[in-house]
Amino acid sequence: MTDPRDNVQQEFLAEAQELIEALSRDLLALDEAHQEGARVDHALVNEVFRSVHTLKGIAGMFGYKHVGTVAHALEDLLDGLRLGRISISQSLLDVLFGSIERFQRLLALENPSSTEEEAGVRAYVDTLRAVSLPQEAQPGDPLETYAIDSDVLSVLTEYEEHRLRACIREGLGLYRLRAAFELTAMDDSIEALREAAQSDAEIITYLPSIDGGDEDSIELIVLLASRVPMSQLQLRFGSSYGTVESIPLRARLPTARPERSPTEITAAQNRPNPVADDEDSPPESLRSVANTVRVDIGKLDHLMNVVGELALVRSSVNRVIDRLKGEAHHRQSVMELDRLGRGFERHLAELRTGILDVRMVPLGQVFNKLARIVRQAAREHDKKVRLVVAGANTEVDKLIVEELTDPLMHLVRNAIDHGIESPSVRERAQKNVEGILALNAYQKGSNVVIEVEDDGSGMSPYKLRDTAFQRGLLSEEAAHELTRQEMLNLVFLPGLTTRSEITDLSGRGVGMDVVKTNIQGLGGTVTIASEAGIGTKVVVTLPITLAIIRTLLVEVAARVFALPITSVREAVPFEPGQVRKMQGRDVVTLRGETLAVCDLAHLFGFRSANAERGRFVVVGSLGNRELGFVVDSLHGQQDVIIKSLGPSLSTVKGFAGATDLGDQRVALVLDAPALFNEYFDGPDTRMAEAVS
Amino acid sequence: MSELHSATLVPAFEPEYSLAVLGVYLGGDAYGFPLASVHEILVPPPLTEVPRASSEVMGVITVRGQIVTVIDLMKVLCLEDCDKPPYGRILLVNNGSELIGVAVDSVIQVYRLHSGQVEYASSMSADLADYVVGIGRVGNADSNHRDDMLILIDPVSLLGA
Repeated sequence: MTDPRDNVQQEFLAEAQELIEALSRDLLALDEAHQEGARVDHALVNEVFRSVHTLKGIAGMFGYKHVGTVAHALEDLLDGLRLGRISISQSLLDVLFGSIERFQRLLALENPSSTEEEAGVRAYVDTLRAVSLPQEAQPGDPLETYAIDSDVLSVLTEYEEHRLRACIREGLGLYRLRAAFELTAMDDSIEALREAAQSDAEIITYLPSIDGGDEDSIELIVLLASRVPMSQLQLRFGSSYGTVESIPLRARLPTARPERSPTEITAAQNRPNPVADDEDSPPESLRSVANTVRVDIGKLDHLMNVVGELALVRSSVNRVIDRLKGEAHHRQSVMELDRLGRGFERHLAELRTGILDVRMVPLGQVFNKLARIVRQAAREHDKKVRLVVAGANTEVDKLIVEELTDPLMHLVRNAIDHGIESPSVRERAQKNVEGILALNAYQKGSNVVIEVEDDGSGMSPYKLRDTAFQRGLLSEEAAHELTRQEMLNLVFLPGLTTRSEITDLSGRGVGMDVVKTNIQGLGGTVTIASEAGIGTKVVVTLPITLAIIRTLLVEVAARVFALPITSVREAVPFEPGQVRKMQGRDVVTLRGETLAVCDLAHLFGFRSANAERGRFVVVGSLGNRELGFVVDSLHGQQDVIIKSLGPSLSTVKGFAGATDLGDQRVALVLDAPALFNEYFDGPDTRMAEAVS
Repeated sequence: MSELHSATLVPAFEPEYSLAVLGVYLGGDAYGFPLASVHEILVPPPLTEVPRASSEVMGVITVRGQIVTVIDLMKVLCLEDCDKPPYGRILLVNNGSELIGVAVDSVIQVYRLHSGQVEYASSMSADLADYVVGIGRVGNADSNHRDDMLILIDPVSLLGA
């Protein structure tokens, strides 16, 4: 039904998004290395360069002019970095990080070449140009200190030449390795050599030698730079590859360098597309990309439907088999059919789990985005924050990951803004000046738990209580009765903020309640623990997949409904005689506590035929609130695939969707959070009428 | 599915065009749905009613794992007083934003209507609802027998956005 052009567009956006995420990841790695004072990882710079270059290419193809312009300018800068013309610095990294925001914004544009963005893009490109001005060349060309053959030097690419110079400057010795390679397996062998060398030597380049080799093999001269002495290299490579010889230092400076005149170098630097330089080094990332497939989630949903259809076919076949069972002369065939049928069912179940598995993506995707926010927020507030991530491999349904980004971003920003103190405060409190923000994810049963923990100032429960009282969110009596945990939970109330000043990060008093609503929308829960002066820990618990949820099937007026088990605490027998009225609401006493109850039959306007028979109260709990749903009977638990109701029923409140119970019957899935809201604070009077 | 997207009756009823229409009986009258908008004809599976939905919604069914809303055309047409025999078929109709089920008594046949056989609601003096596009005369042009008239329904207005 969709325009094929739209598909192509989606394809582009998905790919661009992936590239930008990769870019962000690599930049973070560069940033981390820079913070730790490590030397620039040139492989990583190449990786970043490649992402940007690809992005530039596809942006051009799809008419994303501005993305192309930014990518082009960025590419120039990165090329400078790669070739050592610019050195890495904090300000340079800031500018690089800016590109991610910029790209995201440009990709979100409806009109990819909108003129409104032009000024912003031009300003950013100018910034990029400003930081990419080359630094002064260092005096004396280190290449001249070694007696490298001029025919070797003349074929080095600019990048290789830069690496060679850098290695010499770092005091690495230069060696020449002569090795014979099988022609057919040459690429693999070189890759193997590169890996073997990685720990203590860097391969600058390799050239075919003029003399060695026969029909099936070729002799290569590999130019190595290494810190380890010649004898060790000989041991390591000599046996399996060939001879290692040292390249001698030049006795005196040569009169002139014949290979490249200075003008040629400038010309080379201005080449518009220098990517060809590194094409001879097989990039590892390309291989991993080839192993993954991007799939539209709609296609997976379709496959899931087909699986459901197959299950139906299977049950029809079963019926036929049952009919045949009565006839004696079919016995042999029936047995065989039975056996085949069981095999079919097993494979069908496998197929179903397989499809569900494909929907799973690692949480690392979200964590990478958060890492960028941590960095940005910490810099804006002049705080020192170290992000510690654990369990980034934990997998969650793709749809959940999408919805999770915003709430987690809020939590992370809260932790940096309100939690972690400024370095001076931390020093006075005898804490490490660098605050720690930990993101920890793990699987627990059919749930995924994500913890966001900081070692900041923590929250005072009493301060929260007093603020809630002052804001009129809490009566004085209620305030006195609160337990410590209940006081902490006040943080989830709408309109509560303990920070008097409002920052651009958080603290508008809308943070935590939004987080809670979003997480509950996903069928998850949020809890908070905090110790003043020590830190705060927010624990988010989510179902692994949205597609399949465990439900309690209940019957109301001869109709079956499914109630997500995440919001069910228990089910107890219900005695109509116990019901009392309290402020216009029906309540019962359960183990000494008062529980509001609501009869689902009344709520949905059914005439319940068996009001006298034994019924049940299903106690739902959501956050701190509890509500009993009165139902006629319980049908046990079942894992169901939840399907949304069509747009025509989108105005009907109280249902999260519907599910096929397997025999072509549909059960509506109750939306517990919506029912809770409706009952406790909904302006919707239908509920109040039904209950009173 | 792409041809269904443009399956509204209105542009198709231009002169020179002949239109394929699926005729159905409902409460003693014959109705016509543009054939291109009809996806499938189903023997009604078990129906689950949806509390709180508007009165013309009969409930939901599952079709190949997809949840489909079924509407009562009689209610939509405000013909509640008719004696209703049990519904015999459900038409899966594309209303432009989703597939919806329309309960009918039985399916008659597919008619090919020429422009001369269609009388548009806009040219009739009677005050007709939005989803009635006009009348198709399938029998003798002069006949006024009700079996020879199809009330042409525009599926896009049925629960559509």
